[in-house]
Amino acid sequence: MTKLDDLLAYEVVEGLTEGHFTAEEYVISILKRIEEVEPKVHSFITLDTEGALSSAKIIDKKIREKEDIGQLAGVTVGIKDNISTQGIRTTCASKILENYVPTYDAAVIRNLKENGAILLGKLNLDEFGMGSTTEYSRYHPTHNPWNLDYVPGGSSGGSGAAVAAGECTVALGSDTGGSIRCPSSFCSVVGLKPTYGRVSRSGLISYANSLEQIGPICRSVKDLVMILNIISGKDAMDNTSMPSSPITVPNKSNKLNVAVIKELITGSDQEVAKSVFSATEKFQEIGFSCEEVSIKNLHYALPSYYTLASAEASSNLARYDNIRYGFDYPIGEYKWDTYFSNVRENFGEEVKRRILIGSYVLSSGYYGKYYLKARRLRSLLRLELLTLFKKYDLLIGPTMPILPFKFGEKIDDPIKMYLVDVNTVIANLAGIPAISLPIGFSNGLPIGLQIMAAPFEEQKLIDASYELEKVIHIQRRPNSI
Amino acid sequence: MISKEDLEHLAQISRINLTENELEKFPKQLDKTIEYIDILEELASDDSVNLDLQELTFEELRMDEISMSDDKQLNKNITEDGFLRGPKMK
Repeated sequence: MTKLDDLLAYEVVEGLTEGHFTAEEYVISILKRIEEVEPKVHSFITLDTEGALSSAKIIDKKIREKEDIGQLAGVTVGIKDNISTQGIRTTCASKILENYVPTYDAAVIRNLKENGAILLGKLNLDEFGMGSTTEYSRYHPTHNPWNLDYVPGGSSGGSGAAVAAGECTVALGSDTGGSIRCPSSFCSVVGLKPTYGRVSRSGLISYANSLEQIGPICRSVKDLVMILNIISGKDAMDNTSMPSSPITVPNKSNKLNVAVIKELITGSDQEVAKSVFSATEKFQEIGFSCEEVSIKNLHYALPSYYTLASAEASSNLARYDNIRYGFDYPIGEYKWDTYFSNVRENFGEEVKRRILIGSYVLSSGYYGKYYLKARRLRSLLRLELLTLFKKYDLLIGPTMPILPFKFGEKIDDPIKMYLVDVNTVIANLAGIPAISLPIGFSNGLPIGLQIMAAPFEEQKLIDASYELEKVIHIQRRPNSI
Repeated sequence: MISKEDLEHLAQISRINLTENELEKFPKQLDKTIEYIDILEELASDDSVNLDLQELTFEELRMDEISMSDDKQLNKNITEDGFLRGPKMK
């Protein structure tokens, strides 16, 4: 029999409903697993053991009293620490917010709680979501469960690693330029960045509002759909959110037209490209058509992304002025000119770099040269992709152009670090959904396939992922830890 | 090229103090980033492209109604006569 802590989300709900175990027994098994692996993986910033146990007891009581327990009853969820949780501190992996305890739950947290999910705690990230390795967390880096000398990806590295290491059933991440898909690829789990507007951003601490979405990271496509359906929908607190139809799995799927993006293959490591080709062959075997396409404006995507993300970051992070959030200094007498600058010295280096670049591209004289051009590229790229989606159902390529790498390899060279995101930023710029699905290993290091679809066509993404998952069995949890 | 003076100016408008180490290494790093995004210059300026990906009408906006959080849960610098207390400036 599968160990309790190894169960998938839908198996947890089934097991509880059928009385094979109690929610408390399940949560205890997960907490034991955390105790065992957390000293090696370091996924969490804050663990809420008491809260998790007391939620489990409430569910068990409801089961005994035959009350409704919700669609996610007993499923343990780790939350990226930039998503607000009432009463549980939310740091964004920043020193600036080390004591910040939100007074309200993010919309997605309310959705999860209402459906019986159990919050385990808050997961590590690069400070404010800016990074691709968790090395920019101001607390500690998270280690890749597949090889502890390697980075887990980022910025939702705590989420990816915790799911792969079995420290939670599922996790939530956020994705501004690949922050869900990068760690999903590096940790051999499934992660989805939904269409912009499918999931409410209310309570997600802003980094670049026009690009980011909250999404699930799981060990199976079926789990991912369960979470996605719960967190999707129109929310009055986020005017960019929109109603959407629920996803079904398994779905009576049609044979889909897939196009492989040429530039993403040629820009990748050989081992990564090889894996993508064999996934393409599998698609053909199951009756999908596969062709190759080129995207004309792809070349400009990453510079546009860094221009827009930094510009939005410089504006969003202006709120950390130590008046509404921050350190508890004595009321004192401070100089207007230096008070804010002194406080904001506490940002980490990468956050400072992005704020400075943001200020630069928004300055008069440079606004037209960088910011406006970046926005223009964004519109052109979206138009180009929408045209391609008239002909093809899905666009695919490697999620990451490279394999997971060792700590310290890129940290001193920002451009090298930025280039890691080259394949993933496309979906954020265009506002389209994109999933990363595990498709193989090279030297024990995971490789992920990125599948993109037209806005609100998540059903097609899921159909293709579910079919592929059935024919390529990729390990989702390492034996070594 | 970003000079040390440019960097100090950017830091000042961004309200960020930089450490000695950052003042030393940031000019080169920011230069490389700006050099990288310079490629955007190649793009034509075309006013016919709609820059807004999502448009909202006035009717779609919610009313800006105030609702109070539980005071006891607010974090810091609380409160005098119902106002949040901020640092004293001169």
